[in-house]
Amino acid sequence: MAEKTAQQKSWGVSYGQMVWREFKKNKLNIVSLVLIIILFALAVFAPFLANDKPFMVRLDGKLIFPLFSSLTASDYSIFLAAAVGIWQLILIRRNRKRVEPSARGQMLARQLMINAAVLLAGSVLFFVFIPRRLDATDYKGLINSGRATDAVFAPVPYGYARTDLGVREQPPGKEHWLGTDDVGSDVLCRLIYGSRISLSVGFVAVGISSLIGVFIGSILGYFGGKVDFLGMRFVEIMMAIPVFFLIITIVAYWQRSLFNIMVIIGLTTWTANARFVRAEFFKLRNQDFVQAAVSLGLPLRSILFRHMLPNGIAPVLVEATFGIAGAIFIEAALSFLGFGVAPPTPSWGQMLSLGVSTTGRFLWWLTLFPGVAIFLTVLAYNLVGEGLRDAIDPRLRKAA
Amino acid sequence: MNNGILLAVDNLSVHFFTEDGLAKAVQGVSFEIHKGKTFALVGESGCGKSVTALAIMRLVPDPPGKIVSGRMKFKNENLLDLTEKRMRNIRGNQIAMIFQEPMTSLNPVFTVGDQIAEAIKLHQKKDAEQAWTDSVEMLKSVGIGDAERRAYEYPHQMSGGMRQRVMIAMAVSCQPDLIIADEPTTALDVTIQAQILDLLDELQRQNGMSILLITHDLGVVAERADDVAVMYASRIAEKAEAESLFSNPLHPYTRGLLKSVPQLGFEGERLATIPGIVPDPLHFPAGCKFHPRCPVGGKDKRCQTVEPELRQAQAGRHVACWYAPGYETKQEREEYESKYKQ
Repeated sequence: MAEKTAQQKSWGVSYGQMVWREFKKNKLNIVSLVLIIILFALAVFAPFLANDKPFMVRLDGKLIFPLFSSLTASDYSIFLAAAVGIWQLILIRRNRKRVEPSARGQMLARQLMINAAVLLAGSVLFFVFIPRRLDATDYKGLINSGRATDAVFAPVPYGYARTDLGVREQPPGKEHWLGTDDVGSDVLCRLIYGSRISLSVGFVAVGISSLIGVFIGSILGYFGGKVDFLGMRFVEIMMAIPVFFLIITIVAYWQRSLFNIMVIIGLTTWTANARFVRAEFFKLRNQDFVQAAVSLGLPLRSILFRHMLPNGIAPVLVEATFGIAGAIFIEAALSFLGFGVAPPTPSWGQMLSLGVSTTGRFLWWLTLFPGVAIFLTVLAYNLVGEGLRDAIDPRLRKAA
Repeated sequence: MNNGILLAVDNLSVHFFTEDGLAKAVQGVSFEIHKGKTFALVGESGCGKSVTALAIMRLVPDPPGKIVSGRMKFKNENLLDLTEKRMRNIRGNQIAMIFQEPMTSLNPVFTVGDQIAEAIKLHQKKDAEQAWTDSVEMLKSVGIGDAERRAYEYPHQMSGGMRQRVMIAMAVSCQPDLIIADEPTTALDVTIQAQILDLLDELQRQNGMSILLITHDLGVVAERADDVAVMYASRIAEKAEAESLFSNPLHPYTRGLLKSVPQLGFEGERLATIPGIVPDPLHFPAGCKFHPRCPVGGKDKRCQTVEPELRQAQAGRHVACWYAPGYETKQEREEYESKYKQ
């Protein structure tokens, strides 16, 4: 037993731990991180926070649970994703204690693969076996008429797609804490659901753009010469295209769907990543340890992605956090202009656009609250990105 | 005749096509490395010795560098004819390299055990666990105490000497036939230098591998090398067995080098130096490249215009100098006299 702990100590501090320690030093980083975690929690538990169906209700003397039975397959998939994500974090912590550093990479890869498979299989199962239920029952009406009793509602007892023309364009009050929009939907409820859209756009788009950027950047940086010359001209052509107008054009041709927006943002914003990775690889290319790796006869794949990439990944991570903020911003802007997701799917940018009603009235709560949501989210990601950059930089300098 | 020769480099030339012009870094270099022997390539900075080493590994940065001519017969293959894939198989597996800077030659994000294990996994087709055990074994064999524990350390947790030991462990991990040691001790403490060289000697005795030792330290060469080639400004100036080269240097440059090494009991005022500087590879002088610094033939018209080739002057002695004894026959000498000295 004593032997084992002695060995654990000698494993030393991993790179991730060093970065985390540095990151923790700044209070602002922690605040931003907490903000992001809260946003995640909001997005995951949105149906429990805002729902027009009660958790439980006694209808005609029978106890039923409409909220749970109304959860859709995508809700379940999101729960599963959150659970798998948290489980993966626990596993990483456990790896650090139980697995020797050299085996961690392989272990992590295996765990990631298993978890991804679980997530995929679970989602498919959910979509196959959970029927699309449309529970259009007006529980509040039933309660008012006395048929239903003992109802327990979510904190925000409104659905994001529920319209109520009787209460349209109401300022914040007791009934609707953050007011209502032009069709009488509750703003707070739509804000909560809107965080789902923002986060998924941010992460999927950045995931796509990082993958493309890292791949192209590493090839250009490693080979240099003609490959780099031609590749960089291509990157420059991509950069010369005004991304926002390209997206508007493409969205105009195809459908206005969330999926399209995510993919298009991902496919058009990888240039910054490619350039960062290329610059890093140029620098790394002439480092002795890369030469040493080549002289050991290691295959190109290993040299590029095992030996060079971990040494040059820092700017990609930083760029990814900024990229998430950027993608959220682009989505909001698109939705604001009416090219984003189609209503009734809630999106912060689209809510913002309702701030000036068709009658010309300025509805300040429709401008302020989604605006604040966008602002805080983008700010949090930018601050985390900056914190990460500062945390990584001195490490790199020491290691080099 | 061919027996016992592991690597025969023949007429190797490497040019760098830079923006400032053509730099002929290595020209017509030929030498043989015998099995189980140490061959030393000696010369000042920028004389082309490191480029020669890189050329053997086919690692000359291209662009701007290019191997423009030559043959390098390793075992029964010409290294220059091999496909990149076959070459990758040779690198690390049959020819391994030890770099000058142990501080930067190890990847900072992996543990040292891991870096050794990767090469073993790749070349010897062993599973991760076996490779790890092997790499700990390698660390032990290069004299790292408490290897089981230190295998988990990152390079930054080790001293320079330790890291060079790790580099050596990495290089010998796949039992290569040839190790290219590019100034393996230059960046180290003097006390550590001897240890590292002793270690290399011992490993050589155990595994019977050959070593190409690249250095500018003549003391190291005298002690460790079997054969020596002295390089000056992209060419080999003199090539011989270590003993005869040190006892009877033929080339004025070799003589100059030997004179500038401090001897035990030396009581003069100042060490002898070779006047002048190594010529810039972009602007080599005409004729013998050493003539501007040469105490013997500096004023000779032939030395200034015609470059001497590397030629056998005596048994087992190759030299490139018009004035070296035995370099020319009497007849040639007379021919020259009549042509140049009117």
